[in-house]
Amino acid sequence: MLTIDNLHAGYGTSEVLVGVSLEVKAGSVVALIGANGAGKTTTMRAISGMLRPNEGRVLLDGKPVQQFDASRIARLGLAHSPEGRKVFGPLTVEDNLLLGAFGRLPRFFGFRTRAAADLAGVYELFPRLQERRLQAAGTLSGGEQQMLAIGRALMAKPKVMLLDEPSMGLAPVIVQEVFNTIRRLKEAGITLLLVEQFAKSALEVADYAYVMDRGRIAIEGTPAHLAEDERVLAAYLG
Amino acid sequence: MYTLLIVQLAVSGALMGMVYALIAYGFQLTFATSKSINFGQGELVMLSALFSLTLIDTGLPYWLVVPGGMLFGVVLGLFVERAGVRLALEQKSEGWILLTIILGLLGFSAAENIWGRDDRPFPTPIPSDPVHIFGIDVTPLELSVAIGVLAVMGLVELFKRKTLLGKAFEAVSADRDAAQLMGISATRTIQLSYGLSGLVAALAGILVAPITTVGPTMASVLILKAFSVAVVAGLDSGFGVVLIGLFLGALESLTSFYLGSGWREAPGLVLLILALAVRPNGVFGKASIRKV
Amino acid sequence: MWKRLLLIRGAELAVLALLGAIPLLVDNSYVLGLLTLLAIYGILLIGLDVTVGYLGQVNLAQAAFLGLGAYAAGLGVAHFDFGMLAALAMALGVGLLFGTLLAFPALRLEGPQFALATLSFSALSATTLNEWEGLTLGAQGLQVSRPPVLGMTLDAPGFFWLCLLLLALVWLAMRNLLSSQWGRAFEALRDSPIATDAMGVGTYRHKVAGFALASALGGLAGGLYAFNFQYLQPQSFGYDLMVILLLGVVLGGRKSLWGALVGATLIALLPNLLSNRELFQAISAVGLLVAAVAGARGLLRKTTRPFQALAPIVAMGILMAGSLIVENTEDWRKAIFALMLFAVVVGLPEGLMGFAAHFLTKLFRIAPPPLPAAAALDVVLPRQAADGSALLELRDLKRYFGGVKAVDGVSLTVRAGEIHGLIGPNGSGKSTAVNVISGLYVPTGGDMLLRGKALPVGSLFKVARTGVARTFQNLQLFSDLSAVDNVMVALRGVYRTPIPLVLLGLAMGEEQRARAAALALLELVGLQAQARTRARDLTYGDQRFLEIARALARRPELLILDEPAAGLAHPDVNKLIEIIKRIHERGISIILIEHHMDVISELCSVVTVLDGGRIIAAGTADEVKRNPKVIEAYLGMTDDSAGAAAPALAG
Repeated sequence: MLTIDNLHAGYGTSEVLVGVSLEVKAGSVVALIGANGAGKTTTMRAISGMLRPNEGRVLLDGKPVQQFDASRIARLGLAHSPEGRKVFGPLTVEDNLLLGAFGRLPRFFGFRTRAAADLAGVYELFPRLQERRLQAAGTLSGGEQQMLAIGRALMAKPKVMLLDEPSMGLAPVIVQEVFNTIRRLKEAGITLLLVEQFAKSALEVADYAYVMDRGRIAIEGTPAHLAEDERVLAAYLG
Repeated sequence: MYTLLIVQLAVSGALMGMVYALIAYGFQLTFATSKSINFGQGELVMLSALFSLTLIDTGLPYWLVVPGGMLFGVVLGLFVERAGVRLALEQKSEGWILLTIILGLLGFSAAENIWGRDDRPFPTPIPSDPVHIFGIDVTPLELSVAIGVLAVMGLVELFKRKTLLGKAFEAVSADRDAAQLMGISATRTIQLSYGLSGLVAALAGILVAPITTVGPTMASVLILKAFSVAVVAGLDSGFGVVLIGLFLGALESLTSFYLGSGWREAPGLVLLILALAVRPNGVFGKASIRKV
Repeated sequence: MWKRLLLIRGAELAVLALLGAIPLLVDNSYVLGLLTLLAIYGILLIGLDVTVGYLGQVNLAQAAFLGLGAYAAGLGVAHFDFGMLAALAMALGVGLLFGTLLAFPALRLEGPQFALATLSFSALSATTLNEWEGLTLGAQGLQVSRPPVLGMTLDAPGFFWLCLLLLALVWLAMRNLLSSQWGRAFEALRDSPIATDAMGVGTYRHKVAGFALASALGGLAGGLYAFNFQYLQPQSFGYDLMVILLLGVVLGGRKSLWGALVGATLIALLPNLLSNRELFQAISAVGLLVAAVAGARGLLRKTTRPFQALAPIVAMGILMAGSLIVENTEDWRKAIFALMLFAVVVGLPEGLMGFAAHFLTKLFRIAPPPLPAAAALDVVLPRQAADGSALLELRDLKRYFGGVKAVDGVSLTVRAGEIHGLIGPNGSGKSTAVNVISGLYVPTGGDMLLRGKALPVGSLFKVARTGVARTFQNLQLFSDLSAVDNVMVALRGVYRTPIPLVLLGLAMGEEQRARAAALALLELVGLQAQARTRARDLTYGDQRFLEIARALARRPELLILDEPAAGLAHPDVNKLIEIIKRIHERGISIILIEHHMDVISELCSVVTVLDGGRIIAAGTADEVKRNPKVIEAYLGMTDDSAGAAAPALAG
């Protein structure tokens, strides 16, 4: 569903990614793990078009998208829930969710009715969001904001969902909850590329995993395979 | 009697202040999406008014002239965004300040040569005979300004809150990158904000034209006060511009009564510099958080 | 060295001599008038370039300062019977005074708000000059007589020579200033105001000084303007003139004295060039040709975006077409200026001199000035007592953002001479904590003590002055300055020469000492060979090291390193460890935020672990590594993970 081939990208003169290749098959959950500064978030940004790659290809459903603007890639069916959640603080929870489906809703009127069923689905997954649907997103707690960010990405009914560090800055109990959610997404058959710093938890939910180190893929394999590999911990903890 | 005179002056001044508020509101629209404003907005106001005058001269009825003039404003707004703003924003530079000033100058020169340098009256079907309300004289013309301003601002706010595109507009203002990830094109949204900004500016020109007359210099003073209102209220203050606009309008009307009409521009300018000294983000503005 | 001096100074002298000699060779009052105007505009534009070029702020008030200076000089002569020099001094003083008054409020602002404030000031000054008829005679205009200089009455060439002399003096003074710490500070605060404050160089005071200086030069030029035209009207100093002045600076080239002079020449000549139709057609044709060639080149080499290449061609094309159609170019003067300015701003943002400078440096192979020998490190960075006394104490520190508790009650003590590791997963509040300590954020609650005294809150500048220096996770270098200049900006306790002496060029010795000290610090981080490289052209790793050298220039008691290893390749990480060890040897206490466990284990004597804004563990590196809570925080919770991972981590 998503294929990345020899991706090079960076900021200014410094190249952070030096040839990243990976693949996410339809219906699978793929984890991208590695130490901080290894280039995980940069990979995500280069895939979703927030950063224009210098070299290499990004294929979404077989179609090259690496030269497109982020909004166009999003409309083609890639939902990226970015690092730090980035919910629209001044807007209400419900507006945030509706905007998640921006690409496939009418622009002016009738978008509420069209989105009603999906909205109900997200609220079922996150009942807390329904309680707070008219509250400004910026006033939510960190965990609730993360739920909102995931819900917003779900609203797009994406072909592929990128989830960047969903556990970042959250209390342990909430992290547990986030991973439960990811499990439920997996059961629902969502195609997911997950960047995580919590390697163990990520490997538990993933079908396949890549370990990044200094801008390239160092190791890849099934979680069972990786768990045995000592190089994983080495790459991770330096 | 004297108090009544003061109130009278304050009220007519405040009604004029609504025009400043409307132009300032146009600045807010573009500032929200792109942190940029059109420094040539005064010329945009003036060109739209002159264009509307030409429409009137061709015999078009007033109720068609107004949307025609506003459409012209939209076109100009879009042109400014394309020619003056987009490149600078892509390069993350402040070149747009200079470029919009330059485009304004171009527009001014064009107006001088196309429509001539003289001020001309702007005919309107709205009567200008005063009516008495609570002992104060108000002309329907002045009232039409206030109503027009509030109506268009209300409509734009309604658009922002009730339509998905409007919500997208707010999303881009809140977090441009995240909005892009939702499939919302930031470039298109900034374009939209410049179009809307042009629309309200054009309406401001059409509303004020019957009162001030129309000519290339009609907006050069107007725009300074709109800048003052926008900055004093805060470039992200929403309806705060209306309050400041009313206040400034009343203040300058009283100033010109006490100090002479030549000084009527002064209070807005002094207010602006003072406001910046005390509250750099404006009276109703929000403080921003520095990030590293 | 000599070649450089000879070429640069020689060119300056040659131009000065040439300009000065023209009145002797050509007896033409029209030419003389143009030359005088050129000299006046030269002074004005050098001033404007300080704000527009060096400070990087769009200043729309320079025409107003010209007007204020002109009226001040004129009224000084009329009312106080001033001589010319006294009147000029008064014009300068008025510019300085109003510049300072405007700068205090206006320079708290950035970008558009600053431009608006200066625009409003211009309008206010125009209103005042117009309406204060008792003093200025308003729109009727003010006659000014040209007073004698030291008892001598000046004829037209004499007055021109006076203007030229003043231009030369201003040129010299500004060259001295801009090549001193002041000039560096101006450029630094344009590139990164946050880092400028964090290096203890007050952003605000430098901005105010720069703007006041620019305004003073505007006032001085105004005085000369008054005695040149001998008739003043308020509307001469309005919006139109301001646009023309901006045209001059942008067209000539920003951040360059030569650029200002070229710009002044162009705007002095332009009205005359445009009044002749054939000449105007020729100029438009040349403009179109240049735009077409440059645009085509940019497009072919893909160095410019299509808009950047095409827009100037369209603008120049319109100008060309206009020059053929329009009968009276005078009517379209503003549009012509606008089109030219548009083409230059879009297509040639560095201006003519910026373009020519690259070319000339290559042509004559002008070598940069040599660097002094590096100073002794013991002098630059004296050893400090590492006695283990409490240096920094945090008590129940809190910082909330809306509903998010980024730092939620952190208490810790950093002792003199230790490297204190601060670790934790992403978003655990490490960066927020150091941002609060260094003054970027105001704490929501709690106390911070440095050597028992309360640390200033919410001001990077004030904290920097207490002896705390920091680096930034996302690099905040002064990207347009060279490596050595980056360090020189931050040097503490070196620059003592008062500004009048700096203007006279008497800060040279201090400059050499500063440069030697900066080189010593570059040597410490291994960058001595790249001293002259622009920061933005350094490799990523070297940029990180440069930030450390720059922070050391503060001679800090406490150095905060915010993820210095982030994004570094392995050899660079080793180099970083060496650098930190060397710094530690000098007795400097360090707070090290880091993700790489090996870096932490190798360097830190004490480690504090944050998670969710709270401290979850503290102790030596080995102790915290075995702490189950830490393992949980780092690897995530699984039923057996804590037990299983512990040996791996400890090993």
